[in-house]
Amino acid sequence: MRKPIPPAKPKKSQYGIDPNLLKKRMAELPGITSVTVKELFPDTPDVIYPSEAGKEAIREATIKSLENVDMSMIKPENSVNICASHHGFTLLGGEAYTEMLKTVRDEIIRRTGCRNVRLRAGVGMRLRETEEYIKAFKLDEYFEGKAKGVAPIDKGIPIETEIGTLYGLNAIYDADFVVHCHNSDVREVHFHRQVDRAVKPFGMSYARAETRSTYHQNLGPRGANFTARAIFNSEFVQKKFAFATFLNMSPAGVVGVVSDNDLYKLNEKLTFDGLKYYGKIITLFGQLSDCIVGLDFPCPVPYVFASGVIYANFVSANVDLFNLESLAPYTWYTESFYGKDGKPLIPEIPPVNPKIKMVIHNYAWSGYPSAFFSTHTPTIVVGREQADLMSRCPMNAKYMDHAVIADTLDAAMEFAYKVTGTDKVLIFDGAAGGINVSESLAKEMLEKAPIVAEKVDNELMPIWLKQRGIDPLALAK
Amino acid sequence: MRRVSLLAKVDLDTCIGCKTCERVCPTLSIKVKDRKAVVDEQRCTGCGGCEQRCPVFAIKLVERDDPYTIEFKIVPEMKDKVDELCRKAKFHPEQIICYCTETRAEEVAAAVLAGNDTPEKISAATGIRTGCKIECIQPILRILNAAGITPEKPEGYQWYGLTPTLWDINEDVKKRYSDGGFRFDDDIEVFEKVINAKK
Ligand code: SF4
Ligand code: SF4
Repeated sequence: MRKPIPPAKPKKSQYGIDPNLLKKRMAELPGITSVTVKELFPDTPDVIYPSEAGKEAIREATIKSLENVDMSMIKPENSVNICASHHGFTLLGGEAYTEMLKTVRDEIIRRTGCRNVRLRAGVGMRLRETEEYIKAFKLDEYFEGKAKGVAPIDKGIPIETEIGTLYGLNAIYDADFVVHCHNSDVREVHFHRQVDRAVKPFGMSYARAETRSTYHQNLGPRGANFTARAIFNSEFVQKKFAFATFLNMSPAGVVGVVSDNDLYKLNEKLTFDGLKYYGKIITLFGQLSDCIVGLDFPCPVPYVFASGVIYANFVSANVDLFNLESLAPYTWYTESFYGKDGKPLIPEIPPVNPKIKMVIHNYAWSGYPSAFFSTHTPTIVVGREQADLMSRCPMNAKYMDHAVIADTLDAAMEFAYKVTGTDKVLIFDGAAGGINVSESLAKEMLEKAPIVAEKVDNELMPIWLKQRGIDPLALAK
Repeated sequence: MRRVSLLAKVDLDTCIGCKTCERVCPTLSIKVKDRKAVVDEQRCTGCGGCEQRCPVFAIKLVERDDPYTIEFKIVPEMKDKVDELCRKAKFHPEQIICYCTETRAEEVAAAVLAGNDTPEKISAATGIRTGCKIECIQPILRILNAAGITPEKPEGYQWYGLTPTLWDINEDVKKRYSDGGFRFDDDIEVFEKVINAKK
């Protein structure tokens, strides 16, 4: 039995419990082993990070990716906002994304002579989260006092788009040029459905509350991400947009860094890569039998990671999330379609993944409306402090109405094993390059992976690409 | 429904009177007077908007001595009118429009029909928009709009304006982008089914 992979370290944050209160990680439980992504899917590409070269590999790849990018529009007297999001800092400890941001800054200064290069880092719903990352990674010093966390309730700016007026954040667009720095992992595929994935932050972390509300309430479960395209296509943004740089991710880590002046060209490549790299592991997740899920990562409930995939994807894994014919079991649209009796208003709404028999919330943050998860899956929260943290959160007043508390992780597991009758455990703890699971689940995953791989390559991938209008041959050219 | 157990407390020595808190508060419960922020303790919902944006960390959320619940009760005689307003705004009455507080369209519609004519009054009456403070502004504006109300804008940047819905996207835009995967008409079909669901 292989040793578990070290889980991601807890982080000191106002949105999580004090790391000292986290007494035991799920990977330390008896019977937990690990499988690597490479073992499951041997065609998984090699990664440049994590690797022995460390963050230097990211710097090198970023510089190389920028070689073919035109920066001539940026003059020494101009100002440039490097736009970032909290997501990148949650990947593999955040060092890779940080290094990419620093390198983009250094390259802009070196190549254009422009020194007024600022960092503007957007957030999800934890309005000070990127302020915490800026501090932790000393980005304010690196950006010479010009790094700022921005939030959707900050001052806005109207943006005229082809569907009407939407609103961006003033601080994102208060420079002559904007550079879009993000990460390609499919992440919230339940929201964007891998349509315009690379464009999403224009409708989200760079956007005002009105726009984000448009995304999640007005444009529908499969039209939502058009909000981002509408803003990006606007004359206002087009005038300012210089280029984009992305960490190209796979479930095993950073595959490379890609940059382009043409965001749609980049988007097409990253859409393809995302389907290819993440399609298999997410489809495999959908094939697993009954299991206990462990949440053990410094992020809110739906955003904890296993093999680069967030828990929200597992909640929806009973449906092919990449197939645009289907509705996702979890999105805010589907959540909104549940009536007062707790049942969906229409039969088309699929249930959440019925294979999740119990959830052990060993370590996950507040700061995201998560009551949907504890309502639909039996949940045990470890430690009263963590339960209190959820109850204090203005977004989670009802989370603990549907969850129970265990004093220790061991007590929670003993209860979970007894009640569910399964010994299969899948842990979302950010283990790099693989997944920490029970021995029984490791065996099942290794058995099923080759069948899933064949199905994805031969059957599903052509459907997914066709639905997005992507011709793989044209892309290869 | 929103349970309120916290309250914003300002450290007057730290406050610099910048008014950021005043500009973001969804219930207009904090005002700067004589260059210091003052909280209306009765009205504050403990949403944390001010605490999260104060540039000098002058605000803390503290436990209330008097926790309370905000809920706008729907009078049975109003039910038909409430349902009609929800559907006019293209929501099913039971549709959840605030994920943090589980507020349903009918509660907001009832509050609007009872005379709450701005997002700020609606937030104070129902608790909506006092969780994340981000995602539910459009449903509120849509229901006000369906009721024929143009709300008065507060002085801050609590909200800017009504934005498009699926039904506003013209055929030309739909045609141009549907090959890339945007399924506007399919989503309209889903919404229509939800709006007209018998419950
Ligand atoms: S945001 Fe902070 S510093 Fe500014 S007025 Fe409010 S409490 Fe005072
Ligand atoms: S922003 Fe929220 S916490 Fe602050 S005063 Fe207003 S209601 Fe209270």
